[in-house]
Amino acid sequence: MQTMMRMTALSAAFAAAAAFVAPAALAQDSLYVPNLSYRTGPFAATGTPIMNGQRDYMTLLNERDGGINGVRIAYDECETGYNTEKGVECYEATKANAIVTQPWSTGITLQVLPRTNVDQIPVLAPGYGFSPMADGKVFKWAYNPPSSYWDGASMLLNYVADGDLSSLNGKKIVLIHLDAPYGREPIPLFEKYAAEHGFTFLPIPVGVTEMQNQSAQWLQIRRENPDFVFMWGWGAMNAGALTEAARTRFPMEKFLGIWWSGHDGDMAAVGEQGKGYRAVSWNVPVSDSPLMNDIRQHVIEKGLSQIGNQSELDWVFYQRGLVISMMAAEAIKAAQEEFDATVITPEQMRWGLENLNIDEAKLEELGMSGMVVPFQTTCANHTGHGGGWIIEWDGSKFERVSDILSPDREVIEPLEAAEAAKYAEANAPWPANDECSL
Amino acid sequence: MDFLHSVLVKPFTDMAAAPDFLLQVLWEGTVSGVLYSLIALGFVLIFKSSRIFNFAQGIMVVFAALTLVGLYERGVPAWLALPLTLGVMFILAVAIERVVLRPLVNQPDIILFMATIGITLFLIGLGETIFGGENKRMITQELGIPTGSYIFEPFGGFVSIEQRDITAVVGAIVLVGALLLFLNKSKMGRAIRALGDDHQAALSVGISLSTIWVLVWFIAGMIALATGIVWGSRAGVSFALEVIALKALPVLMLGGLESVTGAIIGGLMIGILEKLFEIYWGQPLLGGNTEAWFAYMLALLVLLFRPQGLFGEKIIERV
Repeated sequence: MQTMMRMTALSAAFAAAAAFVAPAALAQDSLYVPNLSYRTGPFAATGTPIMNGQRDYMTLLNERDGGINGVRIAYDECETGYNTEKGVECYEATKANAIVTQPWSTGITLQVLPRTNVDQIPVLAPGYGFSPMADGKVFKWAYNPPSSYWDGASMLLNYVADGDLSSLNGKKIVLIHLDAPYGREPIPLFEKYAAEHGFTFLPIPVGVTEMQNQSAQWLQIRRENPDFVFMWGWGAMNAGALTEAARTRFPMEKFLGIWWSGHDGDMAAVGEQGKGYRAVSWNVPVSDSPLMNDIRQHVIEKGLSQIGNQSELDWVFYQRGLVISMMAAEAIKAAQEEFDATVITPEQMRWGLENLNIDEAKLEELGMSGMVVPFQTTCANHTGHGGGWIIEWDGSKFERVSDILSPDREVIEPLEAAEAAKYAEANAPWPANDECSL
Repeated sequence: MDFLHSVLVKPFTDMAAAPDFLLQVLWEGTVSGVLYSLIALGFVLIFKSSRIFNFAQGIMVVFAALTLVGLYERGVPAWLALPLTLGVMFILAVAIERVVLRPLVNQPDIILFMATIGITLFLIGLGETIFGGENKRMITQELGIPTGSYIFEPFGGFVSIEQRDITAVVGAIVLVGALLLFLNKSKMGRAIRALGDDHQAALSVGISLSTIWVLVWFIAGMIALATGIVWGSRAGVSFALEVIALKALPVLMLGGLESVTGAIIGGLMIGILEKLFEIYWGQPLLGGNTEAWFAYMLALLVLLFRPQGLFGEKIIERV
């Protein structure tokens, strides 16, 4: 009887243990990669194709390769609506098992940045966020490859000045920007350049409620008659600005945007009238690349994508989504190799992100040649500063019209270091990355 | 002294120095004002008949515009897509009355307000599921709306007026005129006004609450469609259209929640004054983007002296 009771107790103990162990064992089979996405709200039009691209790349890896080195990617989205408070809630809700987090707005990035230091989760913010995050010695957990906003500002200025910034002396440059942390991000660098090279710099903010009716902003542009207008727009602001520019007959060849203002979906509102509008971009669509063929075969044809229509596949933003997920996947691969593990920790993912080497050979191997500028991160350089191309709207699609441009690092670096130090001081005690000897 | 000069003198000398530019500012302000009035009208109508502040008005604009464009993209010709969209808005009005409002009759106003937040969230999800979140081109030309512009050259300068904006202004005037005629001259219109004045008294003389609610929500849907077409033709159709509803709030504060005239005058006042302030004071002195708060400041100033708004009804509650 006693033996029977012991057996029963033992069985119950095993069953209970199994019940607790089972989820952990399941979790070991996948890598949780959350994305603080936005497919609704005022910025959904620009967010959706990027999120589609990100999702589809991870789906491709799972479908074609069975994951990364045998471990499936548990890609998950938490809807923020581009709202900072919701973004922080999403971060908190997804951080427990996350090996990386993607905040997807400069405002959310700035909010989660101090938390990720405590939670020890790397932040991947490709081409956005706080530009001084490039300084890996200060921002141990944050990564914004392959180019920062200040890189973008520098490339745009050098492009319109044809490489000779002194030629801007006496000229007037307007920055029409979203009145949000993202839109205000390049202002310090533009002001620095303006002081050094003698041009007038005038920022013109656009509030969220004014995105679709920018007549006041464009009346001011008409009055100021600038030599160039740069745009740091997002969501409906891009289409609103392009419509107003076309309406007020502002010459499109004098109107250039940052990479988040170079979106095919926005240009549809102006079509032919937008001909000649340019943007700096660190990715360009290559629709006949081997990767795109695989995406069609393993994701689209199987009905696993959420894209609206097939033409979205050729968009700059959809393919940028693919590129961004590629960065995360390559960081995972690098970490798996380095630590000889399949299921990696956030700390190991951090190592992967600061040892990304996306060179021409790697892009060729991934079937992504020409889709993104080559770049390399280190523990001190969390951006890579790969530069970007100029893309131009030809009336129906964006075309690459320049070679790779490089940012003016000599000018940017001191400002990055100063702002990073200021941030660390304002958020003291801020842990520095003492392990980095570069 | 310099500051006083830049506030009190310079803006007016700037206006006098470039009168063509001033005319352009006034025109743009008028167009914005008409658009604000349109959005505010949707709120006023529903509030007038049911005392519900309809939080869903913004998403109704998105939903109506997305339905119109979505139907066209699926091969329905524009001339047919327009009445079909109106049909969808009618079905929506019936569904809202049956599923949301009818079970909540006699509940406190705040409950009904919360219910409209629920409608908003539902329509966001439904719209996103059916039409996706991408920006869509409004079928302006397909609807026969002209898209060219007229250039005038007064005072040696130039003023550019978009045919699309003229259509919007004329369309809004016709819509508002028809609405006023309907509210004041038709039996149904009088029933709506009666409900707005006193629910109990209106019910006691046999006015059907559910019929009137369906009607006003449908009219609000029609206004949402008109608003969606006009705003969508400016920068495409996307969920961003929802935020334009925020522009109606100061208009309602200024004009009064129950007044159709208030919505129209309030909208025009805000449209013109915020544009003048932004161009001549806001941008040179305050760094711009004053449109985000100017209308609220103006409304607050009015509320200090007339808490019911310029045209709102003064409510005296006897205890």
